[in-house]
Amino acid sequence: MSTVEQVKRRFGAGTVPLLTKRLRQALSVVLFFALWAVLVRLEVLGFGRFVGPVPALSTFVSALLGAPMTGSGATIYQHAAFSAMRVVVAMVLATATAIPLGLLIGANRRWEDALFPALEVFRPVPPVAWVPIALLLLPTFRSGVLFVVFVGAFFPILVNTIEGVDTVDEEYLRAAESLGADSREVFRHVIFPATLPSIVTGVSTGVGLAWITVVAAEMIAGGIGIGYIIFQAYRLLQTDVVAVGMIAIGVLGYASAALVYRIGNRLTEWQTID
Amino acid sequence: MSNQTQTTREPTMEGEPTPEKTGAIDIENLTKVYDPEGERVVAVDDMDLQIGAEEFVALLGPSGCGKSTVMNCIAGYLEPTEGEVLVDGNRVSGPDPKRGVVFQDNRLFPWKTIQENVEFGPQMNDGVEEGRARSILDEMGLDGFEDAYPSGLSGGMQQRAELARLLANDPDIMLMDEPFSALDALTKEIMQKKLIEVWERDNRTVLFITHDVEEAILLADRVVVMTARPGQVKDVIDVDLDRPRDPEVVTTDRFTELRERALSVIREEAQRALEQEEGEV
Ligand SMILES: Nc1ncnc2c1ncn2[C@@H]1O[C@H](COP(=O)(O)OP(=O)(O)OP(=O)(O)O)[C@@H](O)[C@H]1O
Ligand SMILES: [Mg+2]
Repeated sequence: MSTVEQVKRRFGAGTVPLLTKRLRQALSVVLFFALWAVLVRLEVLGFGRFVGPVPALSTFVSALLGAPMTGSGATIYQHAAFSAMRVVVAMVLATATAIPLGLLIGANRRWEDALFPALEVFRPVPPVAWVPIALLLLPTFRSGVLFVVFVGAFFPILVNTIEGVDTVDEEYLRAAESLGADSREVFRHVIFPATLPSIVTGVSTGVGLAWITVVAAEMIAGGIGIGYIIFQAYRLLQTDVVAVGMIAIGVLGYASAALVYRIGNRLTEWQTID
Repeated sequence: MSNQTQTTREPTMEGEPTPEKTGAIDIENLTKVYDPEGERVVAVDDMDLQIGAEEFVALLGPSGCGKSTVMNCIAGYLEPTEGEVLVDGNRVSGPDPKRGVVFQDNRLFPWKTIQENVEFGPQMNDGVEEGRARSILDEMGLDGFEDAYPSGLSGGMQQRAELARLLANDPDIMLMDEPFSALDALTKEIMQKKLIEVWERDNRTVLFITHDVEEAILLADRVVVMTARPGQVKDVIDVDLDRPRDPEVVTTDRFTELRERALSVIREEAQRALEQEEGEV
């Protein structure tokens, strides 16, 4: 083996990783905070008015220790719990309505003609655009926020479910019928399980949109919730609290996406087996 | 479940009842036109064919001549435009567990394990019998794969599992549309042997669609060759080779004769199909 090859072997890309995966992941976090600190220090764009990572982390720690946020008296846990509850309740309502409706529309062409065009008009309306009408029409701001989050989660689940049913291979239906299944059994044993992967995709898109929507709606509606504290802190120029709110949303969004992913994988286990 | 396949018992020559044969297929003036209001593709035109109970018939013909269409009409997936298909004297009006189907690329349910797939038919009909799926899977050489999902099996094993699923339902008729065409030569040979084994033992009628002339002659009692589209029966070849037929039978003179006869008919029709296509373009 030549010297060049030996050197390549020791230091070359791909052959011997310089850092383990965990280390590289840790490094990306460190780099992120370093970049943040540098941007604030050099006052790039408006960063001079923003908090640096160190004070933000110290506010974060005191928030975690239960300090009340933005003078409202509620702790970050209470705000987070409200936002999370809104997402959970909206997701439960959205899955409970969008999945059956999607299956119904997908499995029955007549229903599709009757319902889908109307839904199709509402689908491209961004969930946040529903906020004013929801706050006007619903009795309380809280129910208005919930409704908007529900709308945000509803459409991706509905659309993915319908598409899932539409793309079920006809020959699976034929196979089931030739084995003696009636239409109810075909639905239960073929159409529904074949559609599950699409439903899971819809639910994970839905939960992402639910978090986006809840923050936007809480910013507008006010009262309580992480969206509210981010906006309130902005108005009070407490940029450290803004940063804390953003971190909290990031963590919660990540955790709920991971949860949906796990449940989805469990439900469609047959897909991932090689 | 329908009881289409029940027939009236006829007295036998000896006057004592013997188990009647079931699974006779009678295709009468079958015409199938796709898209009658639009492009009008006449896939099958006034076809007649009788397949006896417990007979093994292979269906050969140029690509696109309407073989699958005929099979789908027998399976009950398609409504004939004209004419009808009778099974044991009863008009076919939809799929029925007495008429089992094997698809070219198997249609095992990917979300069910192999055992759940095999038990699906019994579950839909008269109930699952403890241990039966296992014994069928054993017979198909799939023991140990009961709890695997189809995606974990090789192509040959999947096809065997699909055959097992069909057998678990105990159909009178097995409709097979190019069931082995995607398999490698060796796996194909094993599958052919298995198929003949279960057919000889269980007295089922088999309609076997294939592009492979040798396969057709090796397996079937009769080889039906179809014309180019619109499909009709062009020639019916009686395969008078003794059973059991071992693979060496292909080297005999009689086999060669039968093969040449089938091939010459097919060549003629394939040529016609080609000219037809060129004419259409
Ligand atoms: N759903 C359909 N709509 C319109 N035309 C169709 C449809 N299905 C089949 N055809 C046409 O009908 C003709 C017969 O098709 P069929 O599938 O029965 O042929 P085949 O003999 O099974 O062909 P292959 O050997 O390629 O499987 C073909 O020309 C095909 O293009
Ligand atoms: Mg075909």
